[in-house]
Amino acid sequence: MPQSRPDDKQGAALPGGRAAPRTGSFIEPSTLMRIKNLQMRAKVVVDGFLSGLHRSPVHGFSVEFTEYRQYSPGDDLRFLDWRLYARSDRYYIKRFEDETNLRCYLLVDLSRSMGFHTLAYDKAEYAKTVAATLAYFLTLQRDAVGLVAFDQGIREYLPARFRAGHLHRLMMALEHAPAGTSTDLAAPLEQIARTARKRGLVVLLSDLLAPIETIETQLGQLRSQGHEVVVIRILDPAEINFGFRDESLFFDLESGRELYVDPTAVRVDYQRRFAEHARDLARACNDLGIDRYELATDQPLDRALFDLLNSRMRRGRRFARRRSAPARPVAGGR
Amino acid sequence: MGFLVPLYLAGLAALSLPVILHLVRRTPRGRQDFSSLMFLAPTVPKLTRRSRLDQLLLLAMRLAALALFALAFARPFLREAASFSHADLPGRRVALLVDTSASMRRADLWQQAVKLAERELGELGSQDDVALYTFGERLQTVIGFEQEGTETTQAKPQVIRQQLAALKPGWGSTDLGTALVAVAGEIDSTSDVRQSSLEPQLVVISDFQKGSRIEALQSFEWPKRVPVVTRPVQPARRTNAFCHILPDEEEQDGADARVRVVNAADSAGEQFYLAWSGDEPQVKGRHELAVYVPAGQSRVVRLARGTDALQADRIVLRGDDHPFDNTFYAVPPRKEQATILYAGSDGPDDANGMQYYLRLAVANDPLRQVEVRPLHTIGDLPKPGESGARLVVVTQSPAGDWTAGLQSYVEQGGMVLVVPADREAAPIVPALFDDVDLVAELRRSEGEYALLGEIDFTHPLFASFAGPRYGDFTKIHFWKQQRFALRASAVTRAVARFDNGDPALLERRLGTGRLLALTSGWNPDDSQLALSSKFVPLVGAMLDLACGTARVATGGTVNEPVTLPDLPGSPAFVVVAPGGLKIDVPAGSRIFAATDEPGLYRATAGTNEIPFAVNLAAVESNTAPLELEQLAQRGVPLGKSVSRAERTERVRQQRDTELEGRQKVWRWLIVAAVGLLILETWWAGRTERTIAESSLRAA
Repeated sequence: MPQSRPDDKQGAALPGGRAAPRTGSFIEPSTLMRIKNLQMRAKVVVDGFLSGLHRSPVHGFSVEFTEYRQYSPGDDLRFLDWRLYARSDRYYIKRFEDETNLRCYLLVDLSRSMGFHTLAYDKAEYAKTVAATLAYFLTLQRDAVGLVAFDQGIREYLPARFRAGHLHRLMMALEHAPAGTSTDLAAPLEQIARTARKRGLVVLLSDLLAPIETIETQLGQLRSQGHEVVVIRILDPAEINFGFRDESLFFDLESGRELYVDPTAVRVDYQRRFAEHARDLARACNDLGIDRYELATDQPLDRALFDLLNSRMRRGRRFARRRSAPARPVAGGR
Repeated sequence: MGFLVPLYLAGLAALSLPVILHLVRRTPRGRQDFSSLMFLAPTVPKLTRRSRLDQLLLLAMRLAALALFALAFARPFLREAASFSHADLPGRRVALLVDTSASMRRADLWQQAVKLAERELGELGSQDDVALYTFGERLQTVIGFEQEGTETTQAKPQVIRQQLAALKPGWGSTDLGTALVAVAGEIDSTSDVRQSSLEPQLVVISDFQKGSRIEALQSFEWPKRVPVVTRPVQPARRTNAFCHILPDEEEQDGADARVRVVNAADSAGEQFYLAWSGDEPQVKGRHELAVYVPAGQSRVVRLARGTDALQADRIVLRGDDHPFDNTFYAVPPRKEQATILYAGSDGPDDANGMQYYLRLAVANDPLRQVEVRPLHTIGDLPKPGESGARLVVVTQSPAGDWTAGLQSYVEQGGMVLVVPADREAAPIVPALFDDVDLVAELRRSEGEYALLGEIDFTHPLFASFAGPRYGDFTKIHFWKQQRFALRASAVTRAVARFDNGDPALLERRLGTGRLLALTSGWNPDDSQLALSSKFVPLVGAMLDLACGTARVATGGTVNEPVTLPDLPGSPAFVVVAPGGLKIDVPAGSRIFAATDEPGLYRATAGTNEIPFAVNLAAVESNTAPLELEQLAQRGVPLGKSVSRAERTERVRQQRDTELEGRQKVWRWLIVAAVGLLILETWWAGRTERTIAESSLRAA
């Protein structure tokens, strides 16, 4: 299993007095992606993430964040998590273990545009890894996780379950989902509307390279069904910076259009339009009360996961249990 | 080599386009897959330092194709060796039509016209034929067209110059339409008949005033190949007004006149003055009447003669720039002397008699000074050949043998009117009218009367009553009449009858005179005739019948025939024109047509002298310019005269067009261009495929 790089210095302080994990402790994505098995890859990320938490000097952080806290004399030993003790040789108390489990749906966009890559792996692979990581993490928390892999239609569907073998099936479904042609959220949304009897959490992993009006309409439909929605935008660094140099015939992976482009001539304009689209997306998510996060494929996954959970924690949300009161719309994005 | 449309050679500038495109064109280094093109715009090719020409062979083919297209559109042709000069120009048949109407007398218009004509003559070539026409009211051929190729063609311009020097404007009005139609028809028919290759052309030199008549153009189909070149002449100063006398509705003695003053539409001046005038200095009116007339309008004023202008025969207007139409001629008032011999027992002051009313009826005749003299004996009647009384009125049976004397008088041209005053005078009627019998005297009781029931309004005595307004005689009652009856084969006729059928007015022609008889008197005891409004004109008609009409044809216009009065005996007239020229009118004719100039004419026949005035036509004074578009609207093709150089160029162009039409070099150029394009398309496709394959291999 690839190890994270040794950390030899403290990370910067986070708001609320919490300390960030030390720099250098995250796993390089290129290294991570060499792990062929998706479940293993996810496990590495989660374990590394959790071990990072263990080394945090601020005790309250992990307890609140992960629903674990270090054992203090006088705690009720019924809530001691013996598995964690077996793994970590430390005592932790579980909280809200008996509360209703969270239902989480992972919507993974596997259209052709997600097949773009300038690194050794494409966005789809990265998205699958993020999805697998979240599924693994949620399963550890005994939450029900479902999967909808889609392009212009639904390619894989697994209802939200917490039972033996479900995680494995989910990983298999992710590994084998083929890359489609175009992107259409309508089909997965209808599927969720049909099958999700209870409200839960919907995590959408996509590059969201579509007109804002379409995205806004489709995300609005998701929110109208009452689910809490988190959008994780997966982008290749080249899509953000447009760092190409040679004049080329650019080929749209989804529409098949061709365009002669001199990157040096159009870079500034591309970045402006890209940023404008991102702002519109941010505004749309904000208006709909949707949390939005952006992940570049060259970012370490565990760092991304850390930032995601941290951000939600700062806003009073827990990436686990749903409160009885509906979630208030808060500003999304990083 | 020449080009028919060299402007298209500017299309060769488009050759720079493929060069630029080749310079700016970028060959992509390869192909790049990308997630979405939604944030990308195509890069516009531009010239940079790195620009260089690619694909030289393709560039050359494209340039060549464009050049061939540009050359083809320019319609090239191979010129023939012979050059084209003025001598090769086809000849023209030029008709000069010069206006000689009265309005050309203004200022220096005629001099301008002559200069323009000479300029046209100067433009003529050796192949050109020319003719000179003048027009006013009528067209006149001064010098006509000749046969082509005759020697006179070359000498004609000089002849025309001589004729022009002798011409001058007349006094007629302007019939431009008829003149144009006639000359155009002449040119066209001449060209057709002789199958002439000469190009016809009509040059009109005129002041083109609004008073010109152009109605004749309305129904004329203008020959297409006869263009019209207009050469207008205009005076420097434009103010022009004219005057004319309006006829009075009421009978006036002619001392005063109602005068209309008309100011032309383009006049600058508005203040004019009128005065009576004549040849004799003493009749020149000292009293000018000021008249203000804005441009384009008219005013009517009353111009009094004054005692010192009683014999003035013209009204002169002053205040405008052109005096040609400033004089209006009018016959001065003059009363004819006439004598009526009256044979009756009643005195001139006897209000119960007929003489009294007869004298009253003729007292105020504006055209005659009538004297009523008593006729005592037959010897008082004028002898044959003597001038004297032309009418004898007999109311009482005269003593002695009057019958033969009166009949002789009538046969010699006199007129006798018999009106028996009583029963005793009645037999004179059957004595004079041998086919009329006296029946009885009829006196109606109070309250009873007869009316005139049947009247021959075609008779000169009743002609003036022919209208419905004047023809009602039912208000004239007759209480006493002498009843006469016409025999079966009577020559005498009843001009009027009473409502009981009895003749009221009898007439018999004897020799050159007339016998008339009224069967009822006009005095109040007999009837209401003398007291009616019809009595005076009836007596006037009798005097006209007896003495001949004294009215002359005033208001005649130049070149219009004048009808002279019908005098007894129909004598032959000799007319003295204003210039003093004497013109004989054919015997038996009363039409005088030689009214060539305005002024007072005097027609004399024997001892009779009848003056009449001839004036300019009023339309000729309408000197505002005519819009030449009106001619074009009526189908006249107005063209511009072209100089010899322009004609040479035009004919050269025509020859080049024919040459190019025969050679059709443009077709071969188009074929070559299309072939090149096909080759270029194939080569470009081949090149594209090569590039695509190499980039795929590189990817």
